[in-house]
This record gives sequence, structure tokens and C-alpha cells, in this order.
Amino acid sequence: MESQYKTGNNGGIETGANYTTNGRGSEVAVANKKSFRGWDFVLRLLALALSLAAAVVLGVNKQTTTMPVSLVPSLPPVNVPVTAKFHYLSAFTYLVVANAIAGGYAVISLLLALANRRGNKAISLLTMILDLAMVALLFSAIGASLAVGLIGYKGNSHVRWDKVCNVFGRFCHQVAASVALTAASAGAFFLLVILIVFNLHKRH
Amino acid sequence: MAATETTGKVAPEPIKAEPPSVTKYFALVEVVLRFLLFASALVAVLVLVTSKQTKRLQFPPFPLVITMTAKFNQSPAFIYLVAALSVTGFYAVISTLLSFYSLLKPGYFTKALSHFVVLDVLLLGILASATGAAGGVAYIGLKGDSQVGWMKVFNIYGKFCRHVGASIAISLFGSIVLVLLVLLSVYSLSKKIPK
Repeated sequence: MESQYKTGNNGGIETGANYTTNGRGSEVAVANKKSFRGWDFVLRLLALALSLAAAVVLGVNKQTTTMPVSLVPSLPPVNVPVTAKFHYLSAFTYLVVANAIAGGYAVISLLLALANRRGNKAISLLTMILDLAMVALLFSAIGASLAVGLIGYKGNSHVRWDKVCNVFGRFCHQVAASVALTAASAGAFFLLVILIVFNLHKRH
Repeated sequence: MAATETTGKVAPEPIKAEPPSVTKYFALVEVVLRFLLFASALVAVLVLVTSKQTKRLQFPPFPLVITMTAKFNQSPAFIYLVAALSVTGFYAVISTLLSFYSLLKPGYFTKALSHFVVLDVLLLGILASATGAAGGVAYIGLKGDSQVGWMKVFNIYGKFCRHVGASIAISLFGSIVLVLLVLLSVYSLSKKIPK
């Protein structure tokens, strides 16, 4: 795989040389590359900001409310303080960790993109593979949190899992906001992969 | 598994020694991967749909019998997984046929097939989110959650639990196949850039 790839890499450099000798072709290629790079930076920055925001919004999510519990039917209900934190549910922990990984990767890939201005194909293929991995990771985390959040919102009568969002209103809204932010971040990574494919198509 | 299968089929290929043997090799691997995607989606749907289990609970001192049924459509997450797997399977059938046809007669559908990579990424997102959703719910069913008061239920249903777990594992395999398909498309595209 690696050695095969090296040959492809040389081919890519040769293409660049050919384009520069061609004259008109070089302008087109450079223009494409520049516009693509600009979008690349913007999308990576966007993904970084969104992932970071999603992780923080869910990470600081903690709500304490009092819930009336009637111990003895004849007596008035006793108010018991109950707390909801994100790490009580493993799906939310997964969402925070996935967002942290995606944010960290976005920083690294930004640095790589800055260092890789000449267009080394090995690095761009590596970033493409990792972008794809981030798409899968973020989408699976969204799915998990959404499904668990839906149980919290609606409950599930078949297995007698009661809904909890009527007690923890703000907590649930914050989870929903975090999921939405993660979805936007996953969309940014998705667009990055699509942009790479379209760029390849154009040079095809 | 896939690798041995493809190498077994490809072995007589270099004897012909055609110039575009690399692209043909890629096309063959693509057909095999797309078929694997179809097979895994079909198996995962069948395993999840046939996971219905009815359990009769008896409490010895009392003559009371409670029948409890576990079925995939009791949870929205599993319905979502079935829907996503069905869409993936349907798409895999179409794309397998198209890529197989273009393997037999090179030149046909090449343009259409090169656009399939976008759909591949889209389906990867859908399938990954569905797998994550089902996995998240199944994890709560397996372990329960004492903080929220959701008790575990998979200790009651053995067969249902096994079927759901197998279905999630197979759809995870399908997601990996989709990742490989996208990588293959991008790699063969970058190979085909004119020199």
C-alpha cells in the first residue's frame, strides 16, 4: 500500500510540472487549488469551533432540581433534590469524547494543512482517511445520543423506562443543543470529504 | 475474508496483461465490496426483524402468568436501524449491478459510478448514526442505568439480546465496508488523473 502510494505521489508531482509548462492549464489548476484550500481552512475551523462548542455545552451540563416524592400517601410529598449530569448516561459520555477527538483532530489537520501547502499527496490522503473516520465517529455519536435522548424525552412504555425530560428541562435542551452542534460539525467533515472528491473529479 | 476471495478471482487476470489492469482490479474489488455491503445489510435486517421473543413469567406462589414480548419495533432506534439498513441494501443492489455491468463492458456507467462516492459517504453517515443509535439503546438495555431508574431488560430476553447484538455487529461491518468503498473510489480517482 505504502510503496504503491509513493509511485502515485511521484505521478502527482509530475502532473504539477506538466501543468506549469502548459501555460493556460496551470492557471486553471492553481485557481482550483486555491479556492479549494480556502474552503478547506474555513471548514476545518468551523468543524473545530462546532465540536469544541458541542463538547463544552454537554460537558458543563448539570442540573439539580427538587422532585416531590410521596413516601406515605397520607402525608404531603417530600421534596428530594435530584441531579442530572451528562456522564450518568454512557451515550452522552461517548458524544463528549467523540467531539473532543474531532476537535483535537481538527487542530492537528489545520496544522498539517498549513504545513502541507505544496500539496504532498501522502498527507492529503491521510487527512482524507481521517476526515472519513471523523464523519463515521461523529454520526454514530449523534445517533447514540439522539436515541437515548429520545427515550429520555418520550420514555419507553414497553420496558418501563420513564421519561425524565419533564423533570430536567434545561438538561434536555442542552443535550439537544449539543447534538445539533455535533451534527453541524459532522456536516463540515462530510463537506470536506466531498470537496476532496470533487477536486479529484475536476483534475480528472 | 474479502481479500482472499478477491485475490483468488484476480489471480488469472495478469495473464491477459492489459494496460488498464490496475483500474480493472479496482473495479473488481469495488464489485466485491458492494456485494459484501448488500449481503451484510440483508443479513442484519433479517437478524433484527426475526428477533421477536415472547417470554412467560411465572411467580410460583400465585397462579398468575405474565407474557412479555420483546420486538424490534418497540424502540425507535431499532426501527431506524432497520430503515437505514434497508436503504443501504437497496442502494447496494443497484450499485452492485451497475458496477458489475461496467466491469463486464468497460466504459458504461463510468460517469455515474464515479458520482456514487458522494452517496457512499452519505450512506456511511446514515448507517453509522443508525448503528450508534441502536448501540446506545442496546447498551442501556444491557447494563441499565441506576441514576435515571432505567432497569436492564436484556437479562430477561436472551434470544432478543443476541439478535440485536449480532445485527449491530453486522451493520458495523457494513459501515467499515462503506469506508473502504469511499477510500477505494478516491484512490482509484487519484490514480486515473492524467499524467
